[in-house]
Amino acid sequence: MSRLLVVDDEANIRLLYAEELKDEGYEVETAASSAEAVEKLQLATFDLAILDIKLKNESGIELLQKLVKERHEMPVILCSAFSCYKDDFSAWLADGYVVKSGDLTELKQEISRVLAKKALKAK
Amino acid sequence: MDSDFCWNRDCIAQGECLNIHNDEKELLDLKEQRQLQKCIECDRLAADIARFQDSSNPLSPILSLLLSEYQRQKNQIQSLGNFLDTKTLEIRFLHELGYVLQSSVDLDEVLSVALTAITAGKGFGMNRAFLLLKDRETGLLNGYLGIGPRTLEEAGQVWNEISSKDMDLKSLAQNFRLNKLSSERAKFHDILEQLTIPISDTNHIIVKALASQHPVLIEDAFNNPDVPAELARLLGVDTFLLMPLISRTRRIGMIIADNFITHRRISDDDMRSLESFSFPVAFAIERAALYDKLQVELNRVTEAGKKLKEQQDLIVRMENMALVGRITSSIAHSVRNPLMVIGGFARSMLKNSSESDPRRTFIESIVAETRHLEGVLDEILNYSDSLYPTRDFWDVNQLIETALRDTSDLLTAEGYGTIYTPGDHIPPVYIDFKQLSYSLRTILQSDISGVGEDKTITITSENRESGVVLVVKDRSRNITQAELDHLLIPFSETRDLGAGLGLALCKTMLEKQGIPFLAIADEPEGIRYIITLPTHKEEQS
Repeated sequence: MSRLLVVDDEANIRLLYAEELKDEGYEVETAASSAEAVEKLQLATFDLAILDIKLKNESGIELLQKLVKERHEMPVILCSAFSCYKDDFSAWLADGYVVKSGDLTELKQEISRVLAKKALKAK
Repeated sequence: MDSDFCWNRDCIAQGECLNIHNDEKELLDLKEQRQLQKCIECDRLAADIARFQDSSNPLSPILSLLLSEYQRQKNQIQSLGNFLDTKTLEIRFLHELGYVLQSSVDLDEVLSVALTAITAGKGFGMNRAFLLLKDRETGLLNGYLGIGPRTLEEAGQVWNEISSKDMDLKSLAQNFRLNKLSSERAKFHDILEQLTIPISDTNHIIVKALASQHPVLIEDAFNNPDVPAELARLLGVDTFLLMPLISRTRRIGMIIADNFITHRRISDDDMRSLESFSFPVAFAIERAALYDKLQVELNRVTEAGKKLKEQQDLIVRMENMALVGRITSSIAHSVRNPLMVIGGFARSMLKNSSESDPRRTFIESIVAETRHLEGVLDEILNYSDSLYPTRDFWDVNQLIETALRDTSDLLTAEGYGTIYTPGDHIPPVYIDFKQLSYSLRTILQSDISGVGEDKTITITSENRESGVVLVVKDRSRNITQAELDHLLIPFSETRDLGAGLGLALCKTMLEKQGIPFLAIADEPEGIRYIITLPTHKEEQS
């Protein structure tokens, strides 16, 4: 079972992601801030992180850079309230990019794609 | 003495005096004038005076003296008259030349006037002239322009042409500048190219002449030890004039003039005339050259001012962008997150509710409405993003491949295939990548509602003079041009998703970047979208 880390400052969104992704068969942990995410990453290993670009008073992009640098084996999917970040250089560091939507189909597809790619790479 | 000689008569008949022409009839009745103008040089009077001297009259010697003195003074007056006429013509010519030179700040025009004046028959009448200009930076005297015929045949043609047109100096110079400047430069290219002399070569005759600031007449050039053999060979004449161009104390250049065709002797008078002419020419050349430099500096200052203005505009735009960015960011978070939560949980509830659940219809409504609101929000955010494009040079293939990758899942799900044919030698294009990427995605996605059998969307890129032309062809949609135009009007179409901005937003985005966007409905060929991407900054509107 793949372990996912969801980082978002909105409690309801964390809850929604956790419920929906558990239904899909993933083990889900959530974090409300970069600090909490780093803490959880030190305690456990995750197969993938889902990261909100805009966290309260901090940038998800900075956390992304940190993750790419320190945990390059763990893929990251960026979630954003706007689509324009998709074409930003810094966002290209991520393995996937999803615009936030009540319809989580795209996110779920992206998670499957990125995990499959990771598995392929591991082989 | 017989007093009935014709010179002594008050009146004479027409034809009686061979020296009086038909247009001088008034002299027939004007004895004194006739005597002074005609008789004094007449052989008959001379014969009578000789006879008078033979008669040993005591008045005879003094008459002879008076007559010879009269003749001498008459010749002197005539010579002075001729000299005066020549000088008047010369002054008139110099006046005209000075006027033309003073009224121009265009270097080519000044040079055309100067060289035309040297070679024109109405001017100094030399056959050929070469102008060498001093380049301060390289310290070289460089052959710049030549004028004159290279052969006797050409000389005949040119002189006939000039005499048939009877043009004044200004017209001749204008004619030269407009019709002959380039060809003369090309004609003497071989000579001009070799007329390059370092100013540091102080032993060179031309540098010496320039240093002396006075004209130098070179004679017997082929045997003159002061003249380099290659210079004599290059010019092909044994006599030529070196005329330094000096403005105040500054050395501007040198004119070499010769009579290559006629071999007419260059006189001291020629030298003096040309010397007096060289000062205004040197001054005019220096002024025109300075004006050229001034223009260059002015252009630089203008360009710097323009760049400064652009920077100011950019700062204002960036401030605006930051403001818009903050607002949209705030809207995005304030609206999208709750929408997402509402829509997400509604879907979750829908997923977990049974088909018979009476609340299912309400939940479906919530899902549909949140989906609609998310679409509206997307378009509004994209629209605000389009207000301030950020352009840079981008690779076209990367742009298209990104758009195709982003839309591939959706297109594949709808049974569409895409073919991209990149053109040869496609240069980078100056665009806002995000907006172009969005536009291409929107165009591709807008195509998926097609009903035709051919569900292949083709994209081509081609490098043309106007820019890189992208053509997206979709044969699956057959709509009229009017219907397509309607789609390009903002908010004209409200679909299940979105506010109806789609293609209209693409058009606005592209137009804001000065990128031409054409949408052509071509039944039964489908729709063609043509986007011409600029390859230079200047092509922006």
